[in-house]
Amino acid sequence: MKINLKTPVVESREQRLGTIIAWDGKASDLSKESAYARGNCENTCGDKARRLCEMEGPFTQGSVCSEQMVECQAGHVRNAVLIQHSPIGCGAGQVIYNSIYRNGLALRNLPVENQHVICTNLLEEDMVYGGAAKLEQSIRDAWERNHPKVIFIATSCATGIIGDDVDGIASQLEEELKIPVIPLHCEGFKSKHWSTGFDATQHGIVRQIVRKQPKRQEDLVNVINLWGSDIFTPMLAELDLRVNYVIDLATVEDLEQLSEAAATVGFCYTLSSYMAAALEQEFGVPEIKAPQPYGFAGTDAWLRELARVTNRVEKAEAYIAREHARIAPRLAELRELLKGKKGYVATGSAYAHGLIAVLRELGVEVDGSLVFHHDPVYDSQDPRQDSLVHLVDNYGDVPFFSVSNRQQHQFYGLLKRVNPDFILIRHNGLAPLASRMGIPAAPLGDEHHSLGYQGIINLGESILDILAHKKFHQDLAAHTKLPYKQWWLDQKDPFVLAKESKPGNKEERSYV
Amino acid sequence: MSNLEVSHKTNSIQQIRYVCAIAAMHSASAIPGVIPIVHCGPGCADKQFMNLAFYNGFQGGGYGGGAVVPSTNSRELDVVFGGEDRLRELIKASIKILDADLFVVLTGCISDLVGDDVGSIVREFQDQGISIVYAETGGFKGNNFTGHELVTRAIIDQYVGDYDGLKEQGSVNVWSLLPYHNTFWRGDLTEIKRILEGIGLTVNILFGQESKGVTEWKDIPKAQFNLVLSPWLGLQTAKHLEDKYGQPFLHVPIIPIGGKETSAFLRKVAHFAELDIAKAEAFIRQEEKQYYHYLEGFSDFYAEYWWGLPAKFAVIGDSGYNLALTKFLVNQLGIIPGKQIITENPPEEYREAIRKQYQTIAEDVFTDVEFEEDSYAIHQKIRQTNFGHKPPILFGTTWERDLAKELKGAIVEVGFPASYEVVLSRSYVGYRGALTLLEKIYTTTVGASA
Repeated sequence: MKINLKTPVVESREQRLGTIIAWDGKASDLSKESAYARGNCENTCGDKARRLCEMEGPFTQGSVCSEQMVECQAGHVRNAVLIQHSPIGCGAGQVIYNSIYRNGLALRNLPVENQHVICTNLLEEDMVYGGAAKLEQSIRDAWERNHPKVIFIATSCATGIIGDDVDGIASQLEEELKIPVIPLHCEGFKSKHWSTGFDATQHGIVRQIVRKQPKRQEDLVNVINLWGSDIFTPMLAELDLRVNYVIDLATVEDLEQLSEAAATVGFCYTLSSYMAAALEQEFGVPEIKAPQPYGFAGTDAWLRELARVTNRVEKAEAYIAREHARIAPRLAELRELLKGKKGYVATGSAYAHGLIAVLRELGVEVDGSLVFHHDPVYDSQDPRQDSLVHLVDNYGDVPFFSVSNRQQHQFYGLLKRVNPDFILIRHNGLAPLASRMGIPAAPLGDEHHSLGYQGIINLGESILDILAHKKFHQDLAAHTKLPYKQWWLDQKDPFVLAKESKPGNKEERSYV
Repeated sequence: MSNLEVSHKTNSIQQIRYVCAIAAMHSASAIPGVIPIVHCGPGCADKQFMNLAFYNGFQGGGYGGGAVVPSTNSRELDVVFGGEDRLRELIKASIKILDADLFVVLTGCISDLVGDDVGSIVREFQDQGISIVYAETGGFKGNNFTGHELVTRAIIDQYVGDYDGLKEQGSVNVWSLLPYHNTFWRGDLTEIKRILEGIGLTVNILFGQESKGVTEWKDIPKAQFNLVLSPWLGLQTAKHLEDKYGQPFLHVPIIPIGGKETSAFLRKVAHFAELDIAKAEAFIRQEEKQYYHYLEGFSDFYAEYWWGLPAKFAVIGDSGYNLALTKFLVNQLGIIPGKQIITENPPEEYREAIRKQYQTIAEDVFTDVEFEEDSYAIHQKIRQTNFGHKPPILFGTTWERDLAKELKGAIVEVGFPASYEVVLSRSYVGYRGALTLLEKIYTTTVGASA
């Protein structure tokens, strides 16, 4: 399966990977049903997507869209401007992503500033006559105001439907302004899962920013991440490697040199899958094909593979041994303090696989977890990246493993099933419900918090902090009423509505 | 990055200050027991609540807002074949799962562009006696201020319905701040209700926890009159109610902050409503006694604080708070207006009247106001303003944090987006809110002094 960089429109996750957004069962079963486990793909699979059985119910709550992921990636390149070609409502995202951008910059010790995002503010008459002139004007405004190195354009549901020629305008202005003007096709209705928005951004970057005649930098490692604290620099320095953080908080220059690195890594395959595979395919930059760096097993294997690819095996072994010894005493204490505690992970897909591993390292019981979507395979298709199998093989099964795309109404039953002492989250919308049920959440705003050896300790300390919050949440739970009917709260199966709804040729319809 | 030229006005909006009509899902969820249902793309509901209700004072989604909101999460096939069946299915399931007194269906760009007949679907449910209404709020149709009046009108016309019974003397419907968009609306509506009750009114505050929910909305037609307490938002609703129920309305453009303005406001209302003036005056006396007691304490600080306090201010925000703050700062504190910029794009027909309010802000103070939505242009205007010999204090939003630093001035985040404020019940209006506002302003300036 080759990544197709010829067209400006990215192929969606469901087309490329067979992504699903609703499933319930054992983690081991999901891993067996996924593409890796099948080995040679059956004829029915074809060249592209793997088909997993997916549930679909009539009731869905507001999810997230691809355009939001474009905002939080392309909108966070420091010397670029993102134009949202949309009505003003899509511009709402400027608020959250500005705040995240500012706090991310602060966390990384970079100068704090507002993000550079412009909305074309399409109105009713533009729906009739088209919004092309406004897009052109906003591109010129972006240039005049900020003199950016790159201008990104995010499309919207409205422009997708009225059919503005965004690609045409972009190439015309690119020629005139002599900087990359990059259309990112991310209409919310085009993909059932928002992670397609990551791919849309990465697709545009690889096509139009990355240097096409790279000069290899043998000590440079691309780290595909978000706004997390700088833990990779000291870690990779142990192997005499330098870090190239992308996409958030990066400069255009950082993006240009993506093709020159010795390797590409990430903190989560959900995020890094597309670009890492594309860089390998187009420029021969090897993607590190190993478990993700969570827990001892994952981090050991990840470091060893990175060291092998970059020819630094001895340094890695010394570092691994030192780190094991360094964290052992506090880890033993944490395991004692966390004995008998039950945790629940509710995050993005591959990231959850990593976090569950860390919880099990800490001796925390994990009977249930949910992921917002599941990719049966990542873009590399390399089984060494099968993060779910790595979890199940090294840390055991998760009996109640669910795919639920931020569906708060299901979350109630999912938590009741396993009664955790705390949850780990990143995305908004679920923790408020847990809170009203008396369950505290550890929001992992810094996505690097639990990564690597120190991450095991970090997460343990954070869980202790968050368990103390239980007093707050239990007090609240006693004084609050949930918006769900008792009939729903009494349901044992959070997926009951999907199972009740008529089967049939609905597999193409999945709204969650 | 920025030169001082203000380029000509274009369609571009950098750093938004309002959102689209579907954000009026917050006007639904702001009514206790009401839950919105949105028929739109998968990201619309999240975008609106994470930005209006979370990174704007961290207000929270409440009972029926936030991640609770049912959404059709429209897909490509809904664009191609229409999304009517999907909406019907979602409404059915919502009734089954969610405990609501009233559902409000709001549409987004997709539905409005492909032309789903949402009205007839909702009527199917209304005909079965389900409490449900709908408003077409596609993002290109207007902003969340417009959307608010659409939702309000939908509830009145489709749920409250006709009424030809008696009016209750001394009762009022209040139409004021935009819920959630105004960061302090909860505390402010509480204070507004308190002072109106203080002078003897029965108050339908309609939004926020002080509202009795849908039963209060059912009482709308019985009220003696409508009070529009804002420069323009709510006027359409009041005019509609005048036609529909024969209710007169009183329009007070200035939301009162501080003793002087609040007392004048209450006297105006008492007079209009023909209340017992002696009773109203007794309440005003009592409130003023408390207010001026605290103000007297504050005066020691205001008169003899050594290290300097700001003398000029700018307000950047929607007309409601902009006008209210300007009035208070000029008349109560005697600070000099530097620049006022109104950011919510009020309909053209109201702008002249708003402008007049600034021109007569005090007997001896004349100021003007500008209307601008694009933060790039707004910031250029502020940079070009002469604030005199010392840095100004800016009453604005998160977008002005860096600008305040650049001008070496102070910033008080008073409006959307206020991403660096945590707001629970705080209010800045009326008697009590004014005192909180004074605390906030001077804690900000004194707190940054050393």
